[in-house]
Amino acid sequence: MNSNGKTTIFEAQGVVKRFGGIRAVDGASFSVGEGSITALIGPNGAGKTTFFNVVTGFYRSDDGLAAFDGTQILGRRPYEIARLGMVRTFQITKALARMPVIDNMMLAAPDQPGEKLANAIFRPASSRRREREVRESALELLEVFNLTPLADEYAGTLSGGQRKLLELARALMTRPRLLLLDEPMAGINPTLGRRLLDHMQRLRAEEGVSFLFIEHDMEVVMNHSDRVVVMAEGKVIAAGEPHEVREDKAVIDAYLGGSEPVAPRPNADGAPKP
Amino acid sequence: MHLPLAISLNFLTDTGFWTGVLILAGVYALVALGLQLNMGFTGIVNFGAAGFMAVGAYSMAILTLKTGLSFWASLPISMLITIGFGFLLGLPSLRLRADYLAIVTIAASEVVRLVAQNARDLTGGNQGLFCEGAKCFDDQWRDVSDKIVGWLQDLGWSNPDQLVPLLLVVWLTVIVVTLGLVFAQRTPWGRVLRAVREDEDAARALGKNAFSYKLQSLSISAAIGAIAGWFLALDLATLHPLDYEPIVTFYAYAILVLGGLANYWGVLAGAVIFWVIVEGTRFLELGISEVRLAAIRFAIAGLILILIMVFRPQGLFGKRDEMVLGE
Repeated sequence: MNSNGKTTIFEAQGVVKRFGGIRAVDGASFSVGEGSITALIGPNGAGKTTFFNVVTGFYRSDDGLAAFDGTQILGRRPYEIARLGMVRTFQITKALARMPVIDNMMLAAPDQPGEKLANAIFRPASSRRREREVRESALELLEVFNLTPLADEYAGTLSGGQRKLLELARALMTRPRLLLLDEPMAGINPTLGRRLLDHMQRLRAEEGVSFLFIEHDMEVVMNHSDRVVVMAEGKVIAAGEPHEVREDKAVIDAYLGGSEPVAPRPNADGAPKP
Repeated sequence: MHLPLAISLNFLTDTGFWTGVLILAGVYALVALGLQLNMGFTGIVNFGAAGFMAVGAYSMAILTLKTGLSFWASLPISMLITIGFGFLLGLPSLRLRADYLAIVTIAASEVVRLVAQNARDLTGGNQGLFCEGAKCFDDQWRDVSDKIVGWLQDLGWSNPDQLVPLLLVVWLTVIVVTLGLVFAQRTPWGRVLRAVREDEDAARALGKNAFSYKLQSLSISAAIGAIAGWFLALDLATLHPLDYEPIVTFYAYAILVLGGLANYWGVLAGAVIFWVIVEGTRFLELGISEVRLAAIRFAIAGLILILIMVFRPQGLFGKRDEMVLGE
């Protein structure tokens, strides 16, 4: 249980990731409530994306604990974590370029027996039956994201914004319980961005999906998230509801700077910044 | 006197010669099918194909000659040995990036060849491996082959070449393997392979065990390589380390590129065209001595291949869209 009286779906404690002498993630701890939309913000280089990479198994952590729905996940492989229901997207989209959009979608569906070669050969009927279900839900999702006309195009021909939408739609095909989105709005026009936010709200309301997303657009963060976690220099420096975080002195110092008069921070050689 | 740059046409009717060329084309089609699975559909840069052939061929011949096993029993066992070899090779190396994987696989294939050259008691070394006393590794195949020749004569082919049965069996195998691969590629299993080719991390983030799929791809390619190795041994009626040099893998890659990536049928066309060009250049009449022609014909074959690629960079059956998007 967290402070809101809701169940915690994700919790990190003292997660550390070092690259040589640099502690990119330096003991980050926070939790994500089930059914919440949590924003992860922080200046460039704060360790947000590295944190994502660690807790989704793409990087090996150097220390700390992370649990998804009560299961320890550090040390597990990315595909295992994804199968548990904690699915991520990437900051730089990873469209499967030489595959049609519909195949990108259908690939992501879980529980396809035909993904085992033996089943595909010896139990083709069950594989085909699942294929039909999967195609249907893929087409429904493409409709939601306005991608239906592109279903049979190679994903590599999509624009940057369309790729972002495809990646989100594809992640949803896995039927996740927690989605980690790395800058989902970047490069999307405002109309589509609003659509994407609406869809996040709807998924949470209808299917109880939780979200943890990295975002730089403060308007989006303040108006569309229930909780904000702020990272700076690898640590979590604040966490709370948007209005609390907005007024937090450490956050203003580290990140928001400019919305309040802030004393100039010393730079590397100790001299005040101009 | 011949006109320079003319081609005499009487070679076209030399069935013995063309039987040999087409057997070679079939053997290389098999090798290139395995590479197509790896390179074209999984994104694995496997340069160890000749090693798979050598392991398959040598373990088949050694089992037949040195143990009590029959030729037929040694086939499935040697295939399992080759699959095991591919599996063990892939286990540490498939975590490597493409260029490093290429180096490791080509090195592994050279290690196999050098072992074959030096483990003389087992492989015959540079003397080759064919018979022990009165027993030859291909005795049982020859019995079958003679039977097929008899059938062909019954069907009215008065005097088929000795190698025609092998030709038929090789190409029947090529067709069956191609159909199997085409089928597998259309299943959800094949879709995961393509996803791994496109972006391994994306596949993993969607819950796919990319490493396992790469290992499966390499193991299947090893099994196909073993079959190609058997056929090469039966064609040459001997096993010699020099027949498994890396050039074999390079030719198979040339066939792959010529036929086009991510298309199994293209491999078949590529193999036939490649060997017809390479062997057909023997019959060029350039008004020069045979020795000089032998030296120059590979250059001419290379030139023809380059010209085909200039006009069809995606290969004969490759998709131009996919080539462009892959860059």
